[in-house]
Amino acid sequence: MHLTIDGRVVDAVAGQTVLDAARAAGIYIPALCYHPKTGKAGRCRACVVEVDGLRGLKESCALPVKDGMVVHTATPKVMETRRMVVDLLLAEGHHNCISCQANSSCELQDMVYHLGVERPSFLIESEPTPQDLSSPGIMREADKCIHCGRCVEACQNGVVNEVLAFAYRGSHARVVCDDDLPMGDSTCVQCGECVQVCPVGALVLRQPREQKIRPHETTATRITCPYCGVGCQIDLHTRDNRYVFAMAHENQWERQPNKAMLCIKGRFGLDFVDSPDRLRTPLVRRDGELVEASWDEALDLVAERLKAAKEQHGADSIGFFTSAKVSNEENYALGRFARAVIGTNNIDHCARL
Amino acid sequence: MREELITTIESIAARYPDRRSALLPALHLVQRHNGGFVGSEDLAAVAELIGVPVSEAYGVQTYYSMFQRKPLGRYHLQVDTNIPAMLAGAQTIVAHLEKVLGIKVGETTPDGLFTLSTVECLASCGTCPVIQVNDRYFESMTPERTDALLASLRRGVMPDLPAPAHFGSTCNVLLARRGTPNAADIEVYLADGGYKALEKALGMTPEAVAAEVKASNVRGRGGAGFPAGVKWGFLARGTGKPTYLVCNADEGEPGTFKDRQIMEFDPHLLVEGMAISAYAIGANLAFIYIRGEFAWIADILERAIEQARAHGFLGTSIRGSGFALDIIVHLGAGAYVCGEETALIESLEGKRGNPRLKPPFPAVVGLYGSPTIVNNVETLASVPYIIEHGAAAFMRMGTANNFGPKIFGISGHVRRPGTYEYPLGTPLETLIEAAGGVVGELKAVIVGGLSVPILTAREAAGLALDYDSCLKRGTMLGSGGIMVMNETTSIPEVALRAIRFYAHESCGQCTPCRQGSHTVEKLLERIVSGLGTPADIDLVLQLCGRIKGSTLCPTGEAFAMPIEAMVTKFRAEFEALVS
Repeated sequence: MHLTIDGRVVDAVAGQTVLDAARAAGIYIPALCYHPKTGKAGRCRACVVEVDGLRGLKESCALPVKDGMVVHTATPKVMETRRMVVDLLLAEGHHNCISCQANSSCELQDMVYHLGVERPSFLIESEPTPQDLSSPGIMREADKCIHCGRCVEACQNGVVNEVLAFAYRGSHARVVCDDDLPMGDSTCVQCGECVQVCPVGALVLRQPREQKIRPHETTATRITCPYCGVGCQIDLHTRDNRYVFAMAHENQWERQPNKAMLCIKGRFGLDFVDSPDRLRTPLVRRDGELVEASWDEALDLVAERLKAAKEQHGADSIGFFTSAKVSNEENYALGRFARAVIGTNNIDHCARL
Repeated sequence: MREELITTIESIAARYPDRRSALLPALHLVQRHNGGFVGSEDLAAVAELIGVPVSEAYGVQTYYSMFQRKPLGRYHLQVDTNIPAMLAGAQTIVAHLEKVLGIKVGETTPDGLFTLSTVECLASCGTCPVIQVNDRYFESMTPERTDALLASLRRGVMPDLPAPAHFGSTCNVLLARRGTPNAADIEVYLADGGYKALEKALGMTPEAVAAEVKASNVRGRGGAGFPAGVKWGFLARGTGKPTYLVCNADEGEPGTFKDRQIMEFDPHLLVEGMAISAYAIGANLAFIYIRGEFAWIADILERAIEQARAHGFLGTSIRGSGFALDIIVHLGAGAYVCGEETALIESLEGKRGNPRLKPPFPAVVGLYGSPTIVNNVETLASVPYIIEHGAAAFMRMGTANNFGPKIFGISGHVRRPGTYEYPLGTPLETLIEAAGGVVGELKAVIVGGLSVPILTAREAAGLALDYDSCLKRGTMLGSGGIMVMNETTSIPEVALRAIRFYAHESCGQCTPCRQGSHTVEKLLERIVSGLGTPADIDLVLQLCGRIKGSTLCPTGEAFAMPIEAMVTKFRAEFEALVS
């Protein structure tokens, strides 16, 4: 089907929303609360549009497309409303891109930029709320929260950890952990899904913050998580070839095994790649001491010892233990090696632990 | 948690199609048994029992203003300071209590006896000032009566301080038995011809009953004025899910105190109206969602339902018809927004009272995802008359397109504030006269509850009190809560008090309502305190103009419209404060 958005005829398919269709056609509509993973919420009011034949403003994130629909995304009423949303969110003066960790990766910033807002139209007094630094992986800044509800939806119904919820009401409403505990004292398991969906700087990862590296300074490389067999797709953010932070890869998230969600290991546990404690060469024990050796040296030693053990004590005196961190092919190869070369079924895997 | 509490909560949970609905009742119960608060440990126990995460239970607990996290004094004195109370001098009572108790609002006396709070409209607009003590109302309070109340409480006795209310009726439909002794008793109701309409309805087909209601053109009395029969017609059929009827008894619109007249003094009229309506729409389970502050009225309703069941007007086969209906009375817990029907449904499901995105509308996807009709108390209480006497008789009252009787609540600067039943279309002057006339000179009037634009005395002259005439005058009939203001009233102060109410009650979901109400409150505070500038006045107007039509639910309009009207129509008063 076709609809017309701002005078452009745009293709759409049944089941899409106006926002989907506009985005697919490269038409920018800000949407602070809608996220493909958490769905429509109707909270931010940024994505409102006008539609011929429909009364008033409509949330484009919740409006199903219809053939022949004529949508206007930039009427004076729409622009006034967007401007008001921005003004109201900035009025307390807590958003400051200059020092924000989310700078360059912030949907509010994008919206403000698109609207060409230089500064908030007005300011009102507001008491600052302290940052929540209780959690090892996640920093919370309640003042920057725009109440989009993505983190709550993600925590309650996405990863189903059921830690984050909205509490209180009106302008006192805020996101809490359990019954208003600091995140580090709560039942939070540090999956970081809330950070993944947060559109602003209210929930950020501590790893890049502590390294003082913001998102635009990093290069994202898509990798498969090395920890377990799920195969989570990760954007590994690096700078100067060193690990900075990890986010779930979101492109075509519905087709990924992890649906763009990560666990604590994939989210925070990849910093080992730059650890000075990592082995860079094989180590061989000589006179009770582990010393560096070449691969040839090490492999010869292993082959020799395996052979000796098999001859002296039989094949079943040998066992193999492989890892979830290596690929299926590598695991298969070791299986064949154990069974066909050595001749034992003694092979196991760390994922069973 | 004590074993008997667990058993009681389990039995409550078993009554609902989804046990999560028992969350609010459970919190009420535990709070009552726990000396007035529910702390972390008990909250966790309740959450586990109901089967919700602690985070969500906490979110629900802190959403509703009646739930406390910390212990309060033995007597929690809550003074309503909303507009009708303000016009009746509630601040005098607050000041008196502060002086006598030696504490400020929000504090507890050192002996732990009293905690003093101010609260939003308690729906006692005709009998203000009102002090709610724990779950009891003490109305028409003066400093002397307040002293008597405190003296009695100090002796550990909840006193009996009757406060006669003014009322009158020219229609004798909704307030017909308002002055009859024991009218809440089924015997009195039956002796007056009660439940005849239900008997008649059961002899008709449900479609015929619905058609009669539709033909009467009865418009929703909650405030929107949408024809009830048309609403019933939107019900999704053949969904394979049950249909529910919900009575909206969350009377919280400031200036409105009409539904409680029916529920407290003629509960069987509502029960009968609900039974007929449920029959018409095919609902076998109905709910009365009543504001939490009306706990004693909920008890009256429970008793009426019990009596109706005993007389076969409710139950598995009403009067042998095969039609089954049960009614559950469900207490809210202090949240204005729950008067909005989708917020009410969320609350009834045991959640925060956040309005839902529409569509879908409740008639298609409502309570527990099932087709649901939500009607106001007064609307449902009009149904027995329509069925018994016919739509034509109903339409003999009122004006074209605005038929039937209506309870108007008049408060503020009149001699006999109270509830008066008149046909729709009755001139405002007639109502004011019935209420004993204006004390002083009429300056302004709000005719439909706080959420509608204010009218100046000149604009209000000759206004016919019906939905269409009010719209023509640039306001709305709303709930029919009329607040009369004389020349002593400061409109900027009314505006500030009004926005404080909305900022307090905003659910906090959408940006324009949450931040908008808060921002307008800050701006009006600045203006009223003399620290504002003329630019602040323009900013208030600009914000109100933009908030209208931009919010998730009608609450945005509910404050943007009246504030805009107050500032526009009485601009000189605002300017005088900033010059």
